[in-house]
Amino acid sequence: MENDEKMMTGEESLKIITEMINKTKVSIRQGSFHLLFWGWLLIVCSLSAWLLANYTSYAHPYFVWFLVIPGSFVSMIYGFVNGRKETVHTYANMLYMWTWIGFLIAATVLFIIQAKSMQTVTPYILLLAGFPTFLSGFIIKFRPLIAGGICFWIIALLVHFAGPSLAPLGTPVAMLIGYLIPGYMLKNKVNHDTV
Amino acid sequence: MTRFKELDPILHSQLRLAIISLLVGAEAAEFTFIREQTGATAGNLSIQITKLKEAGYIEVTKSFRNNYPQTLCNITDLGKEKFTEYVNSLKDYLSPDSKI
Repeated sequence: MENDEKMMTGEESLKIITEMINKTKVSIRQGSFHLLFWGWLLIVCSLSAWLLANYTSYAHPYFVWFLVIPGSFVSMIYGFVNGRKETVHTYANMLYMWTWIGFLIAATVLFIIQAKSMQTVTPYILLLAGFPTFLSGFIIKFRPLIAGGICFWIIALLVHFAGPSLAPLGTPVAMLIGYLIPGYMLKNKVNHDTV
Repeated sequence: MTRFKELDPILHSQLRLAIISLLVGAEAAEFTFIREQTGATAGNLSIQITKLKEAGYIEVTKSFRNNYPQTLCNITDLGKEKFTEYVNSLKDYLSPDSKI
């Protein structure tokens, strides 16, 4: 694109506009890391809490959920470091990022509100987690993530009716369907497309 | 006979139009990103960015990252307005109903 002052036809102008706008489509390079990281972390937390509650005499099995605090820092640091390496910041990327930051804040508030009754927090957290997952799927145009968000809501309902003894098992299932499967599919897609 | 609106001479240039089109879809873009996507030389790109900046269509922020200079460009409200006008004029021009 060197011959700058060359006269362009309308079609050529339109071609340049279309090509350039397509080049700023949402980047999904970071997306799979967060899905896989949180998917595995929350599976570990929920299964540990369930095992501690059912097979040990430990009085506070829900304490393992405090792992989400260092997890949040890891996620934020990773996002910050990799965000600085990006040479373009698209509106879609910003929307994606703020959707998840919003969820993180909402989840923190929920944990504080429900601190004394953590046994019943699972359906609420799944309900909340479904929203950014669903929305992110639309932002990056990735159907498995949209389906994952819907699964969160269905599992939230099932967990609510299953009762507190089975509730901790809802989270690993939700993480598998909502985060890990779409996360690995996204990772493969990024590697394949080198987006 | 339909009279077309004159296309904005600032935008009706391959490289400047490419720069503005990239910035329309982005909150901000680095000089290196724009150079990679347009395939322009650094010198030519720099000249065209300056022209867009002087016209008030884009803002240029210079800073340092890891001790390396970083040039960040973003489109202004005027730039968005002029780009919209340019696209509308182009639509008129390309419309199958329009006659010269």
